Amino acid sequence: STLPAVAEELLREIKKAFQESSHVPDDLLLGLKFIFGPSAVPALDLVDQRSVTRVVAPSGRTLYQVLGSSGKLYTCYSSCHFCTCPAFGFSVLQKSESLLCKHILAVYLSQAMGACQELSVSEEQLSNILLAEEEDEG
Amino acid sequence: LCRGGLAERLCRLQNRERSAISFWRHQCISDDKTPSDKSGVLIVKILEIFEECTIQVAICQQLEQSPVTLSPEDAVINAEEPILKVLFARETAAHLKSRPQDVIHIYPPWQKLLLRNADVPVIMNTYFSQKVLLSERSEAREKTYGLTKTLIRKNIISLAQTFRLDDLDDKLHQEPSDNQVACAPQLHNQGDSKQHPLALGAVNDSLLDMVESQGAVGWREVQVRVVIQRVYCLPAREGYRSHTQGNKPLCATPSMNSDPPNARLCLLVQDAYGMFSEVWLQSLSSTDGIEQYCRRWEGKSCCLAGMKILQRTTRGRALGLFSLIDSLWPPVVPLKVPGQSQDSEMMTTNLPPPSFCYILTAQSGEIHVEVDEEEQISNLYQPPAVHGLKEILRIDGCNERCSFWAQVVYQRLQTKQNVPVDQRDILLFVTDSTLQNVVHGIPKVVAVSVTASCVLSMEIREALSAGSQLVFFKDALWGNGRIICVERTVLLLQKPLLCLAAGADLSKLTGPVRLDELDSTTQANSICALRGTVVGVNESTAFSWPTCDRCGNGKLELCPQDRELLYCNQCSEVVTTPVLKMQLEVFLSCPGRSQSTVKVKVWHEITLFVLLTMLLFLQTYEVQSVLGKEVGLLNCYVHSVTSHPNCVVLEEIVLL
Repeated sequence: STLPAVAEELLREIKKAFQESSHVPDDLLLGLKFIFGPSAVPALDLVDQRSVTRVVAPSGRTLYQVLGSSGKLYTCYSSCHFCTCPAFGFSVLQKSESLLCKHILAVYLSQAMGACQELSVSEEQLSNILLAEEEDEG
Repeated sequence: LCRGGLAERLCRLQNRERSAISFWRHQCISDDKTPSDKSGVLIVKILEIFEECTIQVAICQQLEQSPVTLSPEDAVINAEEPILKVLFARETAAHLKSRPQDVIHIYPPWQKLLLRNADVPVIMNTYFSQKVLLSERSEAREKTYGLTKTLIRKNIISLAQTFRLDDLDDKLHQEPSDNQVACAPQLHNQGDSKQHPLALGAVNDSLLDMVESQGAVGWREVQVRVVIQRVYCLPAREGYRSHTQGNKPLCATPSMNSDPPNARLCLLVQDAYGMFSEVWLQSLSSTDGIEQYCRRWEGKSCCLAGMKILQRTTRGRALGLFSLIDSLWPPVVPLKVPGQSQDSEMMTTNLPPPSFCYILTAQSGEIHVEVDEEEQISNLYQPPAVHGLKEILRIDGCNERCSFWAQVVYQRLQTKQNVPVDQRDILLFVTDSTLQNVVHGIPKVVAVSVTASCVLSMEIREALSAGSQLVFFKDALWGNGRIICVERTVLLLQKPLLCLAAGADLSKLTGPVRLDELDSTTQANSICALRGTVVGVNESTAFSWPTCDRCGNGKLELCPQDRELLYCNQCSEVVTTPVLKMQLEVFLSCPGRSQSTVKVKVWHEITLFVLLTMLLFLQTYEVQSVLGKEVGLLNCYVHSVTSHPNCVVLEEIVLL
């Protein structure tokens, strides 16, 4: 498959540009729009609002929590592309129409631009966050 | 969308792009030729197509010239021509209806991306693409193709394939989350840096250099030397959550915690090239000590290290910050010029004030700001210019920062009930000798509005409630005929050491405070003095009630245990010595405003000691006995002034 490699390279370019000049050039922003379509602008908005938090437990397990625009908190996994938001379930899993949802994209962009908030929690608390998601699904 | 943020920028770019695309498509329809001699046009022949997530991926061969000029035999695949992967967005693909063997012209702007481990370049942003028809034969083939729907293979992407943004150097190891910030005024990094060794390199003197060379992820090794022009507190806002202490996982909506740090210590610094930056330091849970920081740090040089960029803001987006920067421009010493040797300096009289400013904060909870407190005040420092209130009222501009020293004679809190006390706007009435000693033409007392965004220390709040205070207002804002205290304004009880004082100490008042008398120019929300004759009494509103002597609560209840006693539920205690308040509205005829009905709410606080006397008065109270009585000089707060009906409503006040 081609698209993941392209998306990854684009995000790397953004990270590099940002590290060098703390500025993302217009062509990379348009590239984001091209590859990720309607998720691009909402994802950037989430980054502008510093909505992404990296949650780490002592064992090193991490996950990401993204505060959505509706005020709801979504959980994104770090080891695979997964998000608890309904758009992910629909566009990515069911229809395979998108690579990512806006929250996962916001996680990557926040990583690239050093805009992640950091939160350390205990193992138990991390498990609780994951299990809490399960309860909601059920 | 955040103003000035990336999302807003992309929106604008995208709108422009869309207009360009539709304009181009229009042109192509009307302009039937396929000009392939223009530079930048990519000519490709599609070999294979598949789809991934609505993006169409076309493996193509790049052609040297337009195949229209070649014979059909030449249009055979030449193994030496370079292979490209061209991506088409869903809408473009639908427009093109490409098939293998089709030739596409891709007009600029398109983008080429080289993947790390692949040889085949990728072409994207291919909105301006057009299919080329080879000959009439192809046209006919095209039509038949159009009838049969060709299936395009769709690749399903694995969720396990994540993106790695790191290069060879690993991600910074996770710092422990508990705040590494020292609480004492000294913010030195003294030896307990074993966990985060900072190999501090040479000291640089340019903020812009640092910003451009290091970027946001790490400045850990470099120090920048700057001058602290101002120290102030900013209210901590919800959007920027500071590091939360370990225990609570972030599963609730992010409202402020019950005991949050509600202010943040900030510095406005300037480097030797004249560039400003606002540095956000640690959150303060109590704003006491701001005076100490101001006194010890303003004007001194300091070294910043381990910073990251929070934001790059511009004049249009941060009017408050730039009004402060403007008050510090032009600089008082010549600035260095970038690119030239360190010794040569240029006069800065003609340089325009800065149009952008970086907001910096600590990289990872650790603040590295070393202030040379022992050192002398820097030449670059511009202390606040102090003026008398009379001069400030005459300032021509709008949004000008001004500093003054004034006596606060009365304080009025905004009465919104559901807003916490420390977030309410306060109206302070102030004066100084420049206003008091003038006969007429300018007001004797001026109202200063303190908004919730101006952080007041508990010290100041208590002092203002206790009595009349001499307060130094540093960097208040003057505009539209009003003085307001906003973000970055600091109220201090002690005069800063270094001030450009304008002549004698203007704050010393030579006598008791005098207020302007009520007249035709009096406005609402001001204070004035009045005298007049009683022409009527509003009997229906005359009453008295007990209030708590501790907190002033006027809604006391009967004690459940002993119904003889009064209970205050705000203090949760019995009120043994209630203060009796009495309210009476009188109508006056005032010489200054003879056409208006003047209604004054008069009230007096009476302690239990004189209660008996007053009770006697109330019993014998007769309206007749007060009509015609002369009243004055009363100090009053003007609630409202209306012209139809011509009425002024005031309330008697007691000055601090």
